[in-house]
Amino acid sequence: MLYPDTVESEVLVHKPWFVGATFVVVLAAFLMFNLTGTTMGELMRPVIGNPLESGLYGRFAIAFVIAVMFSLNLVLIGFVPLKLQIGVVWVELLVLFIGFFNLFNLSLPFIWEKLPLLISQGVLTTLFVSALSLVFASMIGITAAIAKLSTNGFAYGLASFYTSFFRGMPLLMQIYLIYLGLPQLGIVINAVPSGILALSLCIGAYMTEIFRSGIASIDRGQWEASRSMGFGFVLTMRRIILPQALPIIIPPMGNTFIGMLKDSSLVSVLGVWELTFMARTIGQPTFHHMEMLIAAAMIYWLMSVCLELVQGRIERHYARSKVR
Amino acid sequence: MKTLTATALIAFGSVTFAISAHAGEVLDRVLGKKTLTVATSANWHPASFMNDKGQLDGFDVEVAKGIAKYLGVEAQFVTPGWDIITSGHREGRWDLSMGQMTPTAPRAKLFDFPAVYIYGNTVVVVHKDSKATKPADLDGKVMGVPAGSSEENYLKHTLEIYNAPPVKYEFTPGEVKSYESGSGARDDLRLGDGVRLDGLLDEELAAKEAIKAGYPFKIIGGSLVSTPAVIAVLHEDEEFSDKVAAAVKAMREDGSLSKLSIKWYGSDYTALK
Repeated sequence: MLYPDTVESEVLVHKPWFVGATFVVVLAAFLMFNLTGTTMGELMRPVIGNPLESGLYGRFAIAFVIAVMFSLNLVLIGFVPLKLQIGVVWVELLVLFIGFFNLFNLSLPFIWEKLPLLISQGVLTTLFVSALSLVFASMIGITAAIAKLSTNGFAYGLASFYTSFFRGMPLLMQIYLIYLGLPQLGIVINAVPSGILALSLCIGAYMTEIFRSGIASIDRGQWEASRSMGFGFVLTMRRIILPQALPIIIPPMGNTFIGMLKDSSLVSVLGVWELTFMARTIGQPTFHHMEMLIAAAMIYWLMSVCLELVQGRIERHYARSKVR
Repeated sequence: MKTLTATALIAFGSVTFAISAHAGEVLDRVLGKKTLTVATSANWHPASFMNDKGQLDGFDVEVAKGIAKYLGVEAQFVTPGWDIITSGHREGRWDLSMGQMTPTAPRAKLFDFPAVYIYGNTVVVVHKDSKATKPADLDGKVMGVPAGSSEENYLKHTLEIYNAPPVKYEFTPGEVKSYESGSGARDDLRLGDGVRLDGLLDEELAAKEAIKAGYPFKIIGGSLVSTPAVIAVLHEDEEFSDKVAAAVKAMREDGSLSKLSIKWYGSDYTALK
């Protein structure tokens, strides 16, 4: 149940059928791959002998050990408090990722040396482009959402055409169209403003639908009640509807913005010196592509985590009424 | 950094729209603004790449700076994608492009080529473990090239170099894979012979750089086609093209072009031998 209630039941990960089912699924999954050639095979050498010659027995042994470790992990996690469970799972996944990255033999001094340039030039430009697009997209979104909910034919037609058009083509093509196509009409926009314009228009279209669904989810009775008190449209929206709609709008809105942070990397095709562009070019002279790409990926992840924390804070603010 | 400052200033002011410049007034614009805006790639060592200080540097960049000095203006660099540069849609955003472009007949319809500034050779590169010993061995194999490049034209047998005799093709590949840039092709080839690619076409000097940096490649056969590398301007301003041509000629005559070639490439490739 979403909200904890008074009915007590055994923790899912301690139910025997669940643990058994997980064990079987993981065993089957890892049996499908031949892992004898990997480090896992090397670690299992004492049990299966030469990994490359162990055949089916080797594969089964490796899959069995992995399945046992996974199921044991699952059961033991269920014994600790909730926050600790989350922490443990995160730590385990991070360790797996770091192990994965170690396979690349990255040159860490190279990353350390180039990090300041990557951050000062790349991150600032990315943040600048994303922040401006965020503001414009929200403004476009709320306006077009109201237009789509209205009975005015002109407004509805305009808004529905806008959302259909700008959700209907890839963002990359929109960027090219604005940068290369608008000049045909005599409007020449430089690279950074083109990128911001394209991002705002595209994300604005998605925001329109998010706002519209949030507003439309408010019960019709609220509109009728506010009309019965003599409220007009603007007052109703301001005082009644939007305060109730915002808790519904915030999660998908935050979701879209976190996605847009990465979509801003497409602006690099116009030659804007943002994070993805810097990552591709800094590593190029010395052929250190992977180092720079992984460093940039981590930086994107950190920025997204910050946005997630902000979103979580806002969501908690709006969920105050649900706390008992 | 000049690029970022300039574009940031424009963006900070407001999202402004600028009306495009009239055709035929490129030289006036350059002299009026006292800046020569050059489009180049940031991804191509040692022709143009980003150095430790975060600025563009390299052979192409220094030649462009030399041209700007001849015209008495400052050089400023922008870095759009190669496909945007070769599409010819410039709209006054830059004045000339330095990318060691190969002058093909289709490109000659869009661009003027005031000056050749270096000569390159296209060669076949294969993995160290490959059994091929001459280009003809790669008949019917999978070859990788950057998209929209003259190397791609060579593989598809559509290469026509402007003002040069027709190209003799030494082999026909079975499949041509196009990558966003040369490094994509090189990364796929280094995975192993035949894993994703059997070979790729590359400019000789770039290939030697890659081998020096530890890529497990070897060059087979000699130069497939010698490609003059040109500066590209649009068919707009004759005066401007003539000035650029004169600038490069002056750099050749006083030896600075050869000096730059030796500095970045190790020897003088600026003239046909």
